[in-house]
Amino acid sequence: MADGVKITGIPTMEELKATPGLVSDQRFEKSAVAVIECVQEIPCNPCEKACPFGAIIVGSPITNLPVIDEDKCTGCGVCLAQCPGLAIFRVEKNYTDSTSMVEFPFEYLPLPQEGDTVPCGGRNGQYLTEGKVLKVKKTKQMDGTTLVSVEVPKQYFMDVRTICRKGGSK
Amino acid sequence: MRKVQAVIVGGGPAGLAASIEIAKAGGKVVVIDENGKPGGQLFKQIHKFFGSREHRAGVRGYDIGTQLLKETEDLGVEVLLDAPVYGLFRDPAGIMVSYMKDGREQAIIGEKVILATGAAENALVFPGSTLPGVMGAGCAQTMINVNRVLPGQKVIMVGSGNVGLIVSYQLIQAGAEVLALVEAAPSIGGYGVHAGKIRRAGTPIYVGHTIKRVLGKTQVEKVELVALDEKFQEIPGTEKMLEADTVCIAVGLTPLTELAWLAGCEFTFIPLLGGHIPIHNEDMETTVPGLYVAGDIAGAEEASTAMEEGRLSGIAAAEALQLYTAEEAKALKAEVWDRMNALRTGPFGQKRYDAKAQLLATAKGGK
Amino acid sequence: MSTCGAEDHVFVCRCEEITKEEIAAAIADGATTVRGIKVRTEAGMGLCQGRGCRKIIQQMLSQSGARPAAEVLPSTTRTPVRTAKISEFINEEDD
Repeated sequence: MADGVKITGIPTMEELKATPGLVSDQRFEKSAVAVIECVQEIPCNPCEKACPFGAIIVGSPITNLPVIDEDKCTGCGVCLAQCPGLAIFRVEKNYTDSTSMVEFPFEYLPLPQEGDTVPCGGRNGQYLTEGKVLKVKKTKQMDGTTLVSVEVPKQYFMDVRTICRKGGSK
Repeated sequence: MRKVQAVIVGGGPAGLAASIEIAKAGGKVVVIDENGKPGGQLFKQIHKFFGSREHRAGVRGYDIGTQLLKETEDLGVEVLLDAPVYGLFRDPAGIMVSYMKDGREQAIIGEKVILATGAAENALVFPGSTLPGVMGAGCAQTMINVNRVLPGQKVIMVGSGNVGLIVSYQLIQAGAEVLALVEAAPSIGGYGVHAGKIRRAGTPIYVGHTIKRVLGKTQVEKVELVALDEKFQEIPGTEKMLEADTVCIAVGLTPLTELAWLAGCEFTFIPLLGGHIPIHNEDMETTVPGLYVAGDIAGAEEASTAMEEGRLSGIAAAEALQLYTAEEAKALKAEVWDRMNALRTGPFGQKRYDAKAQLLATAKGGK
Repeated sequence: MSTCGAEDHVFVCRCEEITKEEIAAAIADGATTVRGIKVRTEAGMGLCQGRGCRKIIQQMLSQSGARPAAEVLPSTTRTPVRTAKISEFINEEDD
């Protein structure tokens, strides 16, 4: 079965690693950081305008892939809700010794509550693990795109990207 | 008979943008739309738009619609609603636009006329395609986002262009389950990031598949999918039956060109842009002097380019009406072209750029 | 299960209930234009005036080899291009 974003709608790890939106392994170790999973050259640049630290560069033409400057990115997460493609995530790999924090845009109701245990899924929506909801952020600037952060076992920091829609059977 | 400087047929993104440019230049403009509300398809676009800040990227479609409407109001643009235009006639003073309003045929002459009629969804025929529950994706989108009615609980989407992907996502947001998205081509047509949203929601995407038939007594009950080979022929033995109550069709758009045919415009055939398209020049003017086209009628693309084409046609019409000098118009048009070209780059935009370039070349060839 | 959409009843023009087979028969009969199909079958003459079926008929014509796709034009457009009531055209005071 052929793979890749054009076939499955999901970028492969190779496709992700080939983009300038993914920071180095060393940067993941340090602190929270934005993970831009934008692998196709589409005409779009709100992420660049969103970043208060100038850490995301799209430039001209606006079909350029967003380039993240891993030293400038503070992991603030302002860019997440500004991406029309809902393709930016915030990851803190070393949230605790054994867990990571993953934050993702979530445009469904009902919203989870902080402290809830929720089934967390990957890019294909399939169940991966239980996660604890850390924060549910909703401000006017985010214009209806809620950000949900979950605490999950560290091994899933590059895999968990959503809450399972169908309750997530194990 | 009433006469104004410009009449615009269609009050969607292209028509409204065109009216704004003409009104800004000081022209008297009337927009005529067959619907009860202006805005075209913008008010059912609940997702954030792509593009750059100049294209209002990151703003949801209905908010862009609200902004456009406010601008037209502030500028005093007259918008006639519930007024289907049924004919165009040449007139010594310009072009006569005939329409129905309040149960009466009426007419208005525009020195310049801009057609911004948009496009209609393509249909697909298969056994069961006339069963209730089979509908256009745009129709389903109107139901959920404008009328707040969920067409069904279990949906099969056909077509992986951005319309199919976006409407699938919005159906899921509205509470439906999208059981599968099928695409006859071997790869996904629309943006990967749109596909990614429905994949995260658990919807599988089957490329190289189509609907073989839909079964049901009085409405859709079962949908049979089948895999296709590289020549788009069904592969026997690959059939798969799913229980569903709704089938949405998102297999492209065809420009609504009746009025352009009626006016005697010359056409060219560009499948990528939806089929037969009125030939137009860089000012969006057709082969009929004083008649312009903008938006999907000039080649089906999307709302952001439709707005830019609308602006272009509006500026050009204003120039032709001598509301702008050639110098002023040139500068304004250049700005629009810069923004429009930005939308037509990259692996998705380049083909449309090439198709439009081919169209403009046809116009210059001046048959 | 009985089906409303059995193989032999795939409607192309739903306004006038013209099936795919009837269109194919019209092509076999020598139709090479949308108009040729229309005069043989009445497809496209209903309420929607071919908005739904025109493109499918164009595709069937080009796929049959009757003409290249670029040359399969829509049938002649006439006023009114939108459905209208006769009463909307009558000025009662003129009687």
